[in-house]
Amino acid sequence: MSAAPPPIIETHELRKVYKGRAVVDGLSLRVLPGEVFGFLGPNGAGKSTTVKMLLGLVLPSGGQMRVLGGSPADPAVRARLGFLPEQFRFQTWMTGEEFLHFHGRLAGMKPGELRARVPQVLKTVGLGGRGGESLGGYSKGMLQRCGLAGAILARPELVFLDEPTSALDPIGRVEVREIIEGLRAGGVAVFLNSHLLSEVEQVCDRVAFVKEGRVLQQGSMQELMGGVIPVGIRVDAVKPGLLEALAVLGEVRHTDTQTPGRAEIELWLQHADAVPAVADAIHACGARLHALTPRRPDLETMFLELIEDRPAPALTPEAVHA
Amino acid sequence: MHNALLIAELSLREAVRKRLVSVLLILSVLFIGFYLYGIYRLEMNLDQRAVDAGLDGRSITGLSNVPVMYSAMFGMYLVYFLGALMSVLSTVGAVSGDIENGVMQSVIARPISRAQLVLGRWIGFTVVNVVYVALLGAALLIGVYVITGYLPPSPAPALGLILLAVTLLTALTVLGSTLFTTLANGIGVFVLYGAGFTGGILNAIGTFADSPTLAALGRAANIVMPTNALWLGSSYLLQPEVLLDISRRTRGANPFFGSDPIAPGLVLWAAALAALAVAAAMWRFSRRDL
Repeated sequence: MSAAPPPIIETHELRKVYKGRAVVDGLSLRVLPGEVFGFLGPNGAGKSTTVKMLLGLVLPSGGQMRVLGGSPADPAVRARLGFLPEQFRFQTWMTGEEFLHFHGRLAGMKPGELRARVPQVLKTVGLGGRGGESLGGYSKGMLQRCGLAGAILARPELVFLDEPTSALDPIGRVEVREIIEGLRAGGVAVFLNSHLLSEVEQVCDRVAFVKEGRVLQQGSMQELMGGVIPVGIRVDAVKPGLLEALAVLGEVRHTDTQTPGRAEIELWLQHADAVPAVADAIHACGARLHALTPRRPDLETMFLELIEDRPAPALTPEAVHA
Repeated sequence: MHNALLIAELSLREAVRKRLVSVLLILSVLFIGFYLYGIYRLEMNLDQRAVDAGLDGRSITGLSNVPVMYSAMFGMYLVYFLGALMSVLSTVGAVSGDIENGVMQSVIARPISRAQLVLGRWIGFTVVNVVYVALLGAALLIGVYVITGYLPPSPAPALGLILLAVTLLTALTVLGSTLFTTLANGIGVFVLYGAGFTGGILNAIGTFADSPTLAALGRAANIVMPTNALWLGSSYLLQPEVLLDISRRTRGANPFFGSDPIAPGLVLWAAALAALAVAAAMWRFSRRDL
């Protein structure tokens, strides 16, 4: 990874302590230019606090961070950032257009540039023609869209989206995904803070899992899964020697023999090629095979495995550690 | 500075759009109209009495016109009081309100320094408050002049001292708004305002009763919170010789009006305190987590 371009976000042992409690506790991250980075973790893991530190809203208690090669305390760095806060609350007495003009001017945009850009971003977020209405009359979904328009308004190089679809319906979520993909196509990096795993899975190049203020793992989906293929097996019974035979082929994760007359086994294989050999091994032990289902590795499985009580490092040794 | 002015402009537009300005204008017109109507009736009464007593007319600067003079004085006291109230109430959530309702996060993530934001908020609210109090004070004095022909001796410097008090209160309220929640700030600045008034009363009683300790306590309160001293200085400038004479003979027993000019040092201190409060607010807000 050292040959890659310099990271757009790099933190090292970042800490934030509130009243003696570490909310972020030694967090180390790398985000590369132009990538969509998913930041995942349960509620209270320190995700929003981390985003706020990266934006200069919260001062770290310790550790180092560099955003776009500088410090977020520097306005010149913040001029190149976009941000949609988790609590998308804006001045309700403004209209959507006034809100965007105000933020554009704060970001240093010229009035002529803004006149062209504001209708454009309103259209992008699906608020075309609604910019003249007061924000006080906007629905939650419209406010979130307006906040998103503000985040992408000044053509940032890096956009922080904190739960960007929390107030949106399924159609809105698809639209936001398309906006994120559009940003990536334009070379803009996106830092996506979300707990909607399917959303993250569909758009993110790389993800980090965070729990109790620490990054458990980070890397591309491929790296994190370590190329593992989970296979679900159902047989009539666990015959002697079966588990040992399977353990030769892959890692036996889980066996469930609670239902009489059937047994479920979860097996993790390194290669899809090994699936027929699993069937052969089961036959060889004399078990009756009812189902053999190779699955695509999914984020939800990983998330639950990581966040629940299992010790993280034992899971996928190939993954890049923070 | 450009960003600070942008925030100031936002604050002005906010004051207009949140109907702050229109509510103020309507209520102030009612207040001024009501008060001036009272003075108009008073003037008719006084004229009638002069006619009844067989006099040709009344001297504007003489004892017979003292009711009109006191009306103008108390009118200006109300202007000062409303100005103080307005300074605190309009500004009480200048920073904390935006933090509490979540507006601040998206603004501070922009390339604006927090010090610029605080400065801009202060400039914006100071403009609103100062213009309001200046208009109110001018309307009252001009109204009294048009009705009765009486104008206090030094109206412009007197109004200037009131406006300095408004500026100071706005600055202290902005500082409180970076330190405390909106509610705590409002209560806190009002208590401070009350401390200034208490200082004036203690000073008056101390002088009247010839108690140096009490007078010293009063002066200490004036230094901590000079708003009341600024009003007393302003009231001195508004009193013609007749009223000052009454004041001196009663040894300053009226805590609402001053019988001595304000010390120039205290005026400078009030201005410095306003600047210090804004600077402290800028410093404090720059070091705060949002």
